[in-house]
Amino acid sequence: MRKRFLYFLLPLLVALASCDLEKDIDVDLPDHEPQLVVECYLEPGRTIRASVLESSAYFDEPVPPLVPDAEVYITTHEGKRIQLNYKPVLVSSNGRFYTHTSTEIMTGAPGQTYYLEVVDGKGRKLTGYTKIQPKVPIDEIEWKFNDKDKAYLLTSFYDNGSTDNYYRYLTHIDSLSAGSDRDLLTSDELTNGKRVSYGSAYDYEEGDTLIVTLYHIEKQYYEFLSSISDAKSANGNPFSQPSKIKSSVEGGIGIFTNLVHDQKTVVLTK
Amino acid sequence: MRIYHTTILLLLLLVALPAWAQRQVVQGYVRAGTNNEALIGATVSAPETGIGTITNENGYYTLSLPEGEHTLQATYVGYATTSRTIVVAGTGQNVSFILEPASNELKVVEIQASSLQQKLNDTRMSVESLSSREAKLLPALFGEVDLVKTLQLKPGIQSGGEGTSGLYVRGGGPDQNLVLLDDAMIYNPSHLFGFFSVFNPDAVRSVELYKGGFPAQFGGRLSSVVDVKMNKGNNERIQANGGLGLISSRLTVDGPIIKDKLNFTVSGRRTYVDIFTRQLNRIKEGDKEYNPIPDYYFYDLNGSLNYTLSDKDQLSLSGYFGRDFFGFNDSDFRFGFDWGNTMGNLNWRHKFNDNLYASTSLISTGYKYNITNKIDIFTFKLTSEVQDYTFKTDFDWFVGNGHSLKFGAQATHHGFTVGRLNFESADSTLSFGAGNIYQGSEFGLYASDDFVLSPMISLNYGLRLSGFNSNGKTYTALEPRAAAKYTLNETTSLKASYASMMQYVHLLTNSGASLPTDIWYPSNENVEPQRSQQAALGVSHLFGKGKYLVTNEVYYKWMQNQIDFRDGANLFVNDSLENEFLFGKGDSYGNELYLEKVSGKTTGWLGYTLSWTYRKFDGINDGKRFPARYDRRHDISLVLMHRLNKRLSLTGAFVYGTGNAYSVPVARFAFQDVEGKDPTIVPIYEDRNAYRLAAYHRLDLGAVLKLKPKRGEADLTFSVYNIYNRRNPYFIYFEQQKDINDELTIGFQAKQVSLFPVIPSVTYNFRF
Repeated sequence: MRKRFLYFLLPLLVALASCDLEKDIDVDLPDHEPQLVVECYLEPGRTIRASVLESSAYFDEPVPPLVPDAEVYITTHEGKRIQLNYKPVLVSSNGRFYTHTSTEIMTGAPGQTYYLEVVDGKGRKLTGYTKIQPKVPIDEIEWKFNDKDKAYLLTSFYDNGSTDNYYRYLTHIDSLSAGSDRDLLTSDELTNGKRVSYGSAYDYEEGDTLIVTLYHIEKQYYEFLSSISDAKSANGNPFSQPSKIKSSVEGGIGIFTNLVHDQKTVVLTK
Repeated sequence: MRIYHTTILLLLLLVALPAWAQRQVVQGYVRAGTNNEALIGATVSAPETGIGTITNENGYYTLSLPEGEHTLQATYVGYATTSRTIVVAGTGQNVSFILEPASNELKVVEIQASSLQQKLNDTRMSVESLSSREAKLLPALFGEVDLVKTLQLKPGIQSGGEGTSGLYVRGGGPDQNLVLLDDAMIYNPSHLFGFFSVFNPDAVRSVELYKGGFPAQFGGRLSSVVDVKMNKGNNERIQANGGLGLISSRLTVDGPIIKDKLNFTVSGRRTYVDIFTRQLNRIKEGDKEYNPIPDYYFYDLNGSLNYTLSDKDQLSLSGYFGRDFFGFNDSDFRFGFDWGNTMGNLNWRHKFNDNLYASTSLISTGYKYNITNKIDIFTFKLTSEVQDYTFKTDFDWFVGNGHSLKFGAQATHHGFTVGRLNFESADSTLSFGAGNIYQGSEFGLYASDDFVLSPMISLNYGLRLSGFNSNGKTYTALEPRAAAKYTLNETTSLKASYASMMQYVHLLTNSGASLPTDIWYPSNENVEPQRSQQAALGVSHLFGKGKYLVTNEVYYKWMQNQIDFRDGANLFVNDSLENEFLFGKGDSYGNELYLEKVSGKTTGWLGYTLSWTYRKFDGINDGKRFPARYDRRHDISLVLMHRLNKRLSLTGAFVYGTGNAYSVPVARFAFQDVEGKDPTIVPIYEDRNAYRLAAYHRLDLGAVLKLKPKRGEADLTFSVYNIYNRRNPYFIYFEQQKDINDELTIGFQAKQVSLFPVIPSVTYNFRF
């Protein structure tokens, strides 16, 4: 009796699965006043560049919201004020788009503070600052193959127990241009002062070239990236709560920080 | 507010005094004919006087009747109504009733006719009750009868979303319900992310839900009391009943162990979708394209033992054990996630004399979840748990002169294990952990008086002293409670109530769903207890020759120290959870209209709720007041049951509700990120819950067909959920649309996702 009964279920499950439970709808959104959006990463040894755009109402046409009259200034730890020139450029070597560039090289050392200021014709003003982080070296990269010829990767480094530290860990397969393989954002809350290891699943094969990058990031960057991730997951996940963007700048949206990293490339061998 | 209330009570007192006539006490038991079991909550009334009451936990009632001849009637859902004519004169008397089970289940609802009269005369207000037998007639999602979900069809009680069993009562959250199973609290009363409640309809007899006007014996939660009673075993013979459904089967066995002394009941229920998915996985083994479906199942076990020691003493042991299990296995990777409640209650009822009863319980109840993840030599374990030990004792004292006192005490020790994490490798190169253990003690002392001042006026007033201690910090509070009924005339009564409630343990959840990983957290020096106050006024009117009762209630509820979380809070593994907390206020007000008919061939109810629910937190929505997600302006439910003939009855339920308040991003920006990352679109959220999802509505139809098996009884219950296949919104999101060829963004589109289309189901139920 019971077994026969259960067969009822199968066509039903199939019917359920075939139902289209998603549809397009129209949503009326309130008017949106565009805000300045900045992305500026200072990297020791590289030229100082920034991208300044605007936010758009969600259903606006997807055109790059350029702000040609925006003036961007970086003030160094020595008080030198550098103006970046408006000159939108797509750098093919790294795939990045910048609206404002300069020829100045960033030379700051750990502990030094840099300031950002953006003003535009509408009277909008955006400010921020960043303190150069010390580099945290990767101590060891290990891998291990299982009997199915798949390997996991384990990257270790030492956390400084006397400071609150934040890290971003990226791995890429073969090249940096193909998008990241892993992207981990962590704090040392659970691992303060310890040797920290980031593992992976059995994702890799023999001969894979892995580029491992460990950024030692600022708290404001950690919070910004977390809020980005929260906001993205709130759009589409009914179980998450809406989240506002925690910018590191005032007067707009965005991030002004420094990128100090250690990068190693390994080729997986048995 | 309290002064105002007292004034009203005093005024009512003065008005009522002249109505006081020479009266005598009539009291006695109401018991079931089959097993002599006390029937709790049975109605005993003298309909022509409008005086009535319900039996207490011992099946005992006390009435104060004017001298003269009366017809005294005892009714109880599922049993045939019994009447006795008595003459009240000179002194009080004892009148007991033995009720026989109703022969036909479909007639059950008919028997409630006189219960409307009783409802009219009851001092209590804002109470919804439902029997398992009633719930079984109604259509249900996947045919899984669920008392808690059926309660959502009553006014003032809402679901949080499609198909979920969480209860949002008068603007309160699902964590603010005191869910009691045979007097023991159940921390997480749901299975499968809230789609089913833990109450197996065969194991449960009835449920009462208090939306307001809380009696003083209840405390510890702000918004409702969900009082679920389990079936007791019968003393006659071993019986079995059960059902085969679309997704689960259930079986209950009960009967005597020692005739008239000791009986038992055991119920079990288990889902079996995993049987198919495992088969499917086996068939597809070796197929590289195929992703195996994880295992999922849940089960419940309920049991009780009842031992009659003597005429004066009864011992009972009841328990519940339920688990959900979700697992995934392959050669390198083993993932297991299980969660559930465990409850045991040892209860001793003692009768000192006909006027004084005591009920004493030792209760253990807990909820825990475990997540285990093993990859090669690495093991990750995460556990959270709450475990309570409670001692409680309650006294019922029928003092006479219209006074019935209740008083008692309760003490609970709470143990909380919050997010205990362990990560280690078999070769010990890696090992770290997190997590906290907290203790807390909670107590309550209460006394209340149910006072029938005159046939027109009755009062119920009480006081509860509650307290909580954790980590050296102690909180105490006085929680006054009061309710009054004034009978305007034979068909109309007015009611009012006020209740103050405290909640010392809090559920940490940052989602709209009931997730098994939601954890409980005690009040301490940084987390103050939650508090609510509620006032309600009501009027009930009986019409259509006593066939219809219409009730209208208006309420206002205000809440302090509500807990929410800062944006992006991490509640999963966090050693400093309190940094994520935000404290705020909430308020809710509304009007609930309820029309019911419980006799005749067609029975059912119509409910309409108009309500507003808001929250205000410093760190959310820039400190501005915002609507709660389940703020529902209009909520309509219509439930009809029609008995076509002796074998067939048809049922239907229609619900309509204003769409949930929802947060949508108003704007977006492009985020490039660092070298080696692809640019993405980031949504910008502004005002919290400022957008409304489309209205929710749905019609369910059902039919119950009695079969004629050779032995016992059987029926087939057909049910169609969402018959016109309405695509109700579950959530919406904004999609970035890309050109298929060059991956360039061409626009943005809002999408709405629904959960359940039309779902037919059939369940086979039996009893022998």
